[in-house]
Amino acid sequence: MNLPDRTVLDNGAVLIAQALPSNPFVAFRGSVPAGMVAEDAQGVAEFLSHLLLSGTKKLSAEKLADRLEGIGATLEFRNSEEVLVFQGRCTRETTAETVRLLIDCLSNPAFPAREVERVRTELLNDLRLANDDTRYRASRQLSELVFPGGHPYGREPRGSEVRIRRTTRRTIAEFHDAHVGPEGLILAIAGDVDRDLVEEAVARPLSRLPPTNEPPSAIPPPPASRPRDSWIPMPHKSQVDIAVGGPALPRRHDDFYALFLANLLFGRIGLFGRLGHNLRDEQGLAYYAYSSLEARTAGGMWSVSAGVSPANLERAIRGIREEIVRLRTDPFSMEEIADGKDNQVGSLIVSLERNAEVASELHRMEYYGLGMDFLERYADLVRDLSEDRVRQVARTYFDPGRASMAVAGPIGRTRVSL
Amino acid sequence: MATHVESLDNGLKVILHPLPDAKALSCWVGYRIGSRNEVPGITGSTHWVEHMLFKGGGKLRKGDIDKLISRLGGKMNAFTDTDYTTYFETIPASAMDTALMIESERMRNAAFDPKEVEAERTVVISEREGAENQPEFLVEEELWGLAFHVHPYHWTPIGYKQDLARLDRDPLYRHYLQYYAPNNAYLVLAGGFDPAVAMQHVREAFAPLKPEPPPPPMRLVEPEQHGERRSDLHRPGAADFLAVGWHIPAFAHEDTPAVALLAAVLGGWRGFTRFAAGDWRSRSNRLYRALVEGKLATDVSVRHELKVDPSLLLTDVTLAGGVPLDRVEEVLDAELAKLRKAPPSKAELERAKGQVRAWHQFEQDGATFQGMLLSASEALASWDAWDAMVARIGKVRPEHVRDVARRYLVEEHRSVVRFHAEEVSR
Repeated sequence: MNLPDRTVLDNGAVLIAQALPSNPFVAFRGSVPAGMVAEDAQGVAEFLSHLLLSGTKKLSAEKLADRLEGIGATLEFRNSEEVLVFQGRCTRETTAETVRLLIDCLSNPAFPAREVERVRTELLNDLRLANDDTRYRASRQLSELVFPGGHPYGREPRGSEVRIRRTTRRTIAEFHDAHVGPEGLILAIAGDVDRDLVEEAVARPLSRLPPTNEPPSAIPPPPASRPRDSWIPMPHKSQVDIAVGGPALPRRHDDFYALFLANLLFGRIGLFGRLGHNLRDEQGLAYYAYSSLEARTAGGMWSVSAGVSPANLERAIRGIREEIVRLRTDPFSMEEIADGKDNQVGSLIVSLERNAEVASELHRMEYYGLGMDFLERYADLVRDLSEDRVRQVARTYFDPGRASMAVAGPIGRTRVSL
Repeated sequence: MATHVESLDNGLKVILHPLPDAKALSCWVGYRIGSRNEVPGITGSTHWVEHMLFKGGGKLRKGDIDKLISRLGGKMNAFTDTDYTTYFETIPASAMDTALMIESERMRNAAFDPKEVEAERTVVISEREGAENQPEFLVEEELWGLAFHVHPYHWTPIGYKQDLARLDRDPLYRHYLQYYAPNNAYLVLAGGFDPAVAMQHVREAFAPLKPEPPPPPMRLVEPEQHGERRSDLHRPGAADFLAVGWHIPAFAHEDTPAVALLAAVLGGWRGFTRFAAGDWRSRSNRLYRALVEGKLATDVSVRHELKVDPSLLLTDVTLAGGVPLDRVEEVLDAELAKLRKAPPSKAELERAKGQVRAWHQFEQDGATFQGMLLSASEALASWDAWDAMVARIGKVRPEHVRDVARRYLVEEHRSVVRFHAEEVSR
């Protein structure tokens, strides 16, 4: 694969393109710094993300949907902690029209009153449904425990029912005008593209995006958290969800790659690494038991998730603890670490076989400033990690003494600590 | 490059789909066995067998499959459907033999260690309990049970918890021996390889495997439904749900292209394979406009369940808070009546056809998706059946869509499940 083309437009937007001619269509992924970190009024970023397909000053919601789907294109907007994400698919022939519609949605949203009310109904329902979901409740609660004090990494993206009811069209429009523009915008595009198409169909319309009222918001470092447990009774459910985790590190931290590998071995590789081996394979306690590492601009979190029968809740928590403690008493062997390194190097081929995956990776490379040669360097970055460092960061971060736990489901009277 | 198709002497059908620039290779092996081949008392056995086939046997010890694929940075998984079960690995193309060895061992030599069978019982029950946490699963299970009284589509592939609690190792193993044979299977390779070289490697890995007597055909036929069937579920929950299923013909039926467009006009098109669309939802369709833009619902989807036997066209609605289920049914009925009365406009139909064509391209994104597409097509009819279907869909006229709406979207052939969310007690 050749190195991707990176262009900085006059208005500050950054465009990354990678030709992959064997996949006969185009996928794109982009972002603007209009995520939760930018919001003053909680929930407004989520509200905005739901409204960007609700019509522009030129096109009603119906006409916009007809135009996009009439050319067979997809376009989605999604809120996240740091940015507003957009992504889609189209053919080479419909790229120009799809990007025109994308730019129209970003720069000229109409926020029709009827659509604002429709989205309000949708968000209220979504929040009710999410609060009735054991997996969501456990993981949301854990995020709040690890990132306390209303930090954007920890809070509910929709805000609260009260916030959803109070958000006005004006608040949403002001948030949009302040934060959605070319500054900080990244658009990565992959597939059946070439330099001419990117220049004509993408760069040109993107360069006409008007500026925002405010510079991108700085992301505050997460406050220190105190380990806590939280038990959420949901007696009408069949299964209990457990989420255990603690603070980790930002994406650009020197230890990121070592911790990424440690997390892979701990609860991801194959059928969920050491955790899956213990909880699923050996004890048959859970269909899923895995770990995650989220590393963002200003901080991060590691976590373990498992769904278990209420009768097995205590055994499952004990099993999770055993595996965390084992990182100290029985550190990763040389063979485990070698397997993990091989996995990472091999995955460069397998995890980047699709246009959508390549667009997503290009976006990540630009967002975190990893450099356009990142994929060329990645294998060496992984191979050069020392075994001791991987073991050391596993002990440092997967620390039961700093871990919080959230449990949601038919928990009965069970209350055990990690 | 052309797709190469060949059958080995033992009956294994081999489908090789080279992608000249691809560095990855996706290996799919499908078995013509799903929950439609089960009988009451052993529901869920096909899915349980699928779990057991990750636990080694023959040349593979427990954990080897996991290790071999992980070291390559590969991905792997398996799916049990009503009509078929499929296993895949996507790996660097240079490691083709690893995938072929795993799949040939899996086909005949799985261990079914009694201790491992027992450990997996709680895992499959846990998978089912996780699904039960979602009201949508309860609604779905109820709907298929309501619509099919004779045919095994009555139950879903996960099976009933009571059966999962009682099933023994021996019936599971017999199920495996009977259906996991080269003459009841097909192999798809999609990715970077030379077809002649790949064929040689496939022969080396699979030709020594002995065929079994052909499994008995599944003879159950669902009698025609005379009269609407209804079920009301009252359970704790956060929102009301409505699910409606209409009987439709099997994939191979001549009406299928028009039914596919009927589904697209009603609820949009999200691709042929189940994971293609991710979270993307169509907004340019009749039910979204009537129910979601009408603020009666926050989500609506239409699924054309393409199956070997006559199946269902399904509509699922998540109701907005405070909206009565009766009101949503009225609006749904009115939209269906419009389609039965008049054909869709030419522009509307062209938009639906355009979506199907576009998704046909999007679903060819990389070796894994192409393997999945070929595998799912082969399970239903033939590896190129979906390509042919897309061409047939292109020829459907507006009045065909109206005709199939009149034929299939009728009250006496439908089943309705209403989920009444009750306040959650703490």
